[in-house]
Amino acid sequence: MKVAYYPGCATHGLSKDVDIATKKVAEVLGLELVEVEDWNCCGGGFLDEKDEDAHVALNLRNLSNVEKMGLDKMVTPCSVCLGSHRLATYKYNENKDLRKRVDKRISGTTIKYENKATAEHLVWVLVRDVGLENIKKHVKKNLNGLKVGAYYGCQMLRPEQIMGFELSFKPHSLQDLISVTGATPVMFPMATACCGFPLMGSNPKGGLKLAFNVLNSAKSSGADIMIHPCSLCHLQLDTLQDKVKSEFNVGWTLPAIYITQLLGLSFGLSPEELGLGNYAKEILKQKGVIQ
Amino acid sequence: MQMAEVKQIEGKNVEMNSQPKSSAIKNEEKEIVVKVKRFSPDKGEWWQEYKLKVDRFTQMTEVLRRIKTEQDPSLSYRAACHMAVCGSCGMKINGAPRLACKTLALELTKEYGSDEITLEPMDLYPRVKDLVVDLEDFYQRMYKVKPRLYPSEEVLEGKAEHRLVPEDQRELWKFAQCIWCGLCVSSCPSVRNDPEFLGPAAHAKGYRFLADPRDTITEERMNILVDSSWRCTYCYQCFNVCPRDIEPVTTIKKTRAWSGKMKDKTKVIETGEKHVNAIADTIRKSGKLLEAEVYLRTYGLAQAMSDMLFMLKSGRMKYALIKEVPVKGLNDIEKVMNGGEQ
Amino acid sequence: MEKLSYDAIVLGAGLSGLMAAHEIGKEGFKVAIISKVFPTRSHSSSAEGGIAAYIPENSDPNDNPDYMTYDTVKGGDYLVDQDAAELLSMKSGEIATVMERWGTLFNRQPDGRIAIRYFGGQTYPRTRFVGDKTGMALLHTIYERTSGLDVDFYSEWFALDLVRDQERVKGVVAMEMKSMMPVFFEARAVVMATGGMGMLYRHSTNSYINTGDGYAMALRAGVALKDPEFVQFHPTALYPSDILISEAARGEGAVLINNKGERFMKRYAPNKLDLAPRDIASRSILTEVKEGRGFPGGFVGLDLTHLGPDYIKERLALAYEAAKSFSGIDATVEPIPVRPAQHYYMGGIDVDITGTNHDLRGLFAAGEAACVSVHGANRLGSNSLLETLVFGRETGRTVADYLKSTDKPSSSVENAELEKMLDEAYLFVKSESGVHFGEVQNKLRDVMWEKVGVFREEKGMQEAVKEVKELRQQVTKMYVNDKSKVYNTEFFNALELRNMMDLAIVISSSALNRKESRGAHYRLDYTQRDDENWLKHTISYLRGNTVEIGYKPVKMTKWKPEPRVY
Repeated sequence: MKVAYYPGCATHGLSKDVDIATKKVAEVLGLELVEVEDWNCCGGGFLDEKDEDAHVALNLRNLSNVEKMGLDKMVTPCSVCLGSHRLATYKYNENKDLRKRVDKRISGTTIKYENKATAEHLVWVLVRDVGLENIKKHVKKNLNGLKVGAYYGCQMLRPEQIMGFELSFKPHSLQDLISVTGATPVMFPMATACCGFPLMGSNPKGGLKLAFNVLNSAKSSGADIMIHPCSLCHLQLDTLQDKVKSEFNVGWTLPAIYITQLLGLSFGLSPEELGLGNYAKEILKQKGVIQ
Repeated sequence: MQMAEVKQIEGKNVEMNSQPKSSAIKNEEKEIVVKVKRFSPDKGEWWQEYKLKVDRFTQMTEVLRRIKTEQDPSLSYRAACHMAVCGSCGMKINGAPRLACKTLALELTKEYGSDEITLEPMDLYPRVKDLVVDLEDFYQRMYKVKPRLYPSEEVLEGKAEHRLVPEDQRELWKFAQCIWCGLCVSSCPSVRNDPEFLGPAAHAKGYRFLADPRDTITEERMNILVDSSWRCTYCYQCFNVCPRDIEPVTTIKKTRAWSGKMKDKTKVIETGEKHVNAIADTIRKSGKLLEAEVYLRTYGLAQAMSDMLFMLKSGRMKYALIKEVPVKGLNDIEKVMNGGEQ
Repeated sequence: MEKLSYDAIVLGAGLSGLMAAHEIGKEGFKVAIISKVFPTRSHSSSAEGGIAAYIPENSDPNDNPDYMTYDTVKGGDYLVDQDAAELLSMKSGEIATVMERWGTLFNRQPDGRIAIRYFGGQTYPRTRFVGDKTGMALLHTIYERTSGLDVDFYSEWFALDLVRDQERVKGVVAMEMKSMMPVFFEARAVVMATGGMGMLYRHSTNSYINTGDGYAMALRAGVALKDPEFVQFHPTALYPSDILISEAARGEGAVLINNKGERFMKRYAPNKLDLAPRDIASRSILTEVKEGRGFPGGFVGLDLTHLGPDYIKERLALAYEAAKSFSGIDATVEPIPVRPAQHYYMGGIDVDITGTNHDLRGLFAAGEAACVSVHGANRLGSNSLLETLVFGRETGRTVADYLKSTDKPSSSVENAELEKMLDEAYLFVKSESGVHFGEVQNKLRDVMWEKVGVFREEKGMQEAVKEVKELRQQVTKMYVNDKSKVYNTEFFNALELRNMMDLAIVISSSALNRKESRGAHYRLDYTQRDDENWLKHTISYLRGNTVEIGYKPVKMTKWKPEPRVY
């Protein structure tokens, strides 16, 4: 199966390991990821507050490039990139006044969106198109005994009327993927709460508090490690482990890894091949998952 | 063979004697179990189960009305219009904040794959009895934003007339449709996290007046709204649960855009503005978001240096040095970005 | 009992109540609004279509207030007081303009002025609207405005009864629903703005809260209702929620079908077919259902499928969305299930065009609770929102004038009298056995629907009067299971049922009394309008278990009765 692949800026930047692991796992699964031709930033979830029309136009540019490649499914590993593109097409289709303005804005550019290409989350493609049974076939190393928190975050689920893959108050895609690896999925009260990343740009104290809430909730529910579906959650929840530790005076870490990093481990890929971070390596060593 | 007689009704041809395409309205019936989380100050909390038959048309308000009139008159809940305009029947249905009237029982059992439906009072607000909660905190948030138009004296005296172009009316009306149901606030993480945050509904209401060209207290409104707008974490829960699709988070985003007009900016506003300006600038420059540059411009060198420690510890310092290639079609980017300069 | 003193009390926080309170408060009087729901939850919010207004310089160039009055008078089958209808037309433009100034986001014309559209029964288009949520938009505007004034709101307070002495009103006893604390609200003036009574009927487009409380309180205080037999039904309410599906649907080409897929309107209105008037369409649908050609559950189909998805979504967006959200029906592929339902109450507390009641000094009424006689025997679309605001304002101004010229009553109210009202209410909680409100309420709604509904005839209405009397007797022995002292909705439902009963006996008796067909009052045994004997208002009092019926002349100015044909 061939799909367009939109990594997004974080996935090509500080969350590069998401990109590394995703490509490796896709390769194993025979999922052909073709990077979107000359893609641009989706606006990072912020540009629309400064200029809503530019945000829509920039996202249409990516989708229009996908259409030019002859593809109609654009898969992204980042929930914010996903939300950004899907909100853009939603607004473009629903709001006639905005559409008029955006059409004016993109006239004279190469952007020509035909409403054929749509943005999808990598998780959706894995669960629905590749299929859990199929993924299971590639599991070489059963992760039995590892308790993995299933953290969904925000924009893979919400707004449900625009995302629509699963029930936003009762999702199960990530638990299903965890189960495939043999590990034990752990649901916890804050599994669909915000990680606080979008607040870091204006109110870092508040943002960090939200990160702590999520990590603490998973830890209290017995998780050893947590998986998530977003390159920005990745930055927030994994990079800031030590900041949370000192700010909230806790004695534990709860590493957050990307969903494909967990899948990769069960496929027998090495921590290096998956770009695993230090916190994760440490815990996984303790749990005997890696050497 | 009979010729079909054709009659013109307001521009649409309707064949008078033709059989309609579809003549059946299919229905189905099922017995469901409704589990209600009940509460009274003297008895405390308990779960109670009711069984009843519903069909494909049965709204949850009707389920409640039937329980109350046929099975258990002591069950307390609020409901009025049953058409999603009065905002009375907000509650948690299968864990999700929803209006009972806008929820069909049978459809829900299919979505959730279970014939059992749970009903609980909304989160956050103090419980009064059963599904009735005390919404005072919600109302106070709304009053804080001065939820009314302050037109000019000339207009009030009839010496001048308001004009409003259809585009503005449509934009404002989208956000003016808040029915004060309280669902968004009950499920908002920032409301819990930050006492300075007004909450989604109040922001929608506040923005609807802030952006109304007929209003006269713009500066006061900015002072009420702008700082708070930077305290939202963009989790999209309010957009998700709003039964009138008013997208409170969109109004929060639009309110942030007024920061530039503020005279006295709070720290939160200043930081937020730096952050988003840096994002826009790097996109304009390269078509991509350059994280390191955004970070530096938002927090300054000192904070960036100290945060580098966390970067090192987590093992992703190496990624901070990646130089992402700029977009080749920068022409498009420039046109799109510059067309929007206000 | 605790006492709070005000100059005026307004009961009900819908459009008319808020507008009246606004006017009273503006004059510096101390005014409180008591409502059993938070103001924006009032039934005014459900009004969809619009508000009729003749705005000079922004109306059809051929239109004028006289045409508007004529339309109202004719629509009301000449039971309209023409001076009231004239006032309504004259003030319509001004009131719409006031609401715009206060912030209502009316739909606009390209030049920025308020837009306009046609509604049934209008000679020229004059309906102003805010999408399909005009009532909600107006209600929010006026609540927002009023909440910024010096007006005290008692939301989620349930009014039990009016307090009066021999000649004038003394105030209201009401109870906070949360704490169940009773309070005597002492006032020189009381405005009844308590809205309609749809819950008396098995099928109604009204809110659950429309239980006719104000009519019953007035009746118990010895005040008459005017024209109580006139109840409007709408042919196409969505099954089973009874949310209104606008007539626009049939105007745009939707057809009514029975369970055989047959366009049955050709049997009842061979020429106009599905565009037949409301009453004929209602009767036809009910006949189909009665004769076994309805769908299980008792409804017919409103079929749009032949119009095509694009046309439906563009022209009939409201019907399409209501069917989808509230009945789970995709109107592009299957018919919308519809049936007739009670929609509006033309009758009400007898007041003149200033909003003053003449049975009890200091009592006023506005909106659906009142009968100013602008709607006569049948209300025209877009006139109900208009009435609430125009007469809400007139009444508020009348009250302010009244307060300026009226002293406080010399006698004070005996506490024993107030406690007696409370005891009567608490009777239900104190009793340990009897009937539950739900049982009686369902029976009442069936009786009213079957026998004092769309079709009426002598025998059925006689039965109805008898059955309602029996049920009313049962209600005195009602039993409230829930003894809780916080937000005891069972208790309040019981009190609502008591109110519904007092009103039901008056409606059914007055309907039985009027031996003609006029507007919404349709009798199978007297199918014609009879101007010679019945061109007069019914005035009904409730005296214990009997209804005392008298008459008042209809006020005529310019328009002589003529046959109501369209």
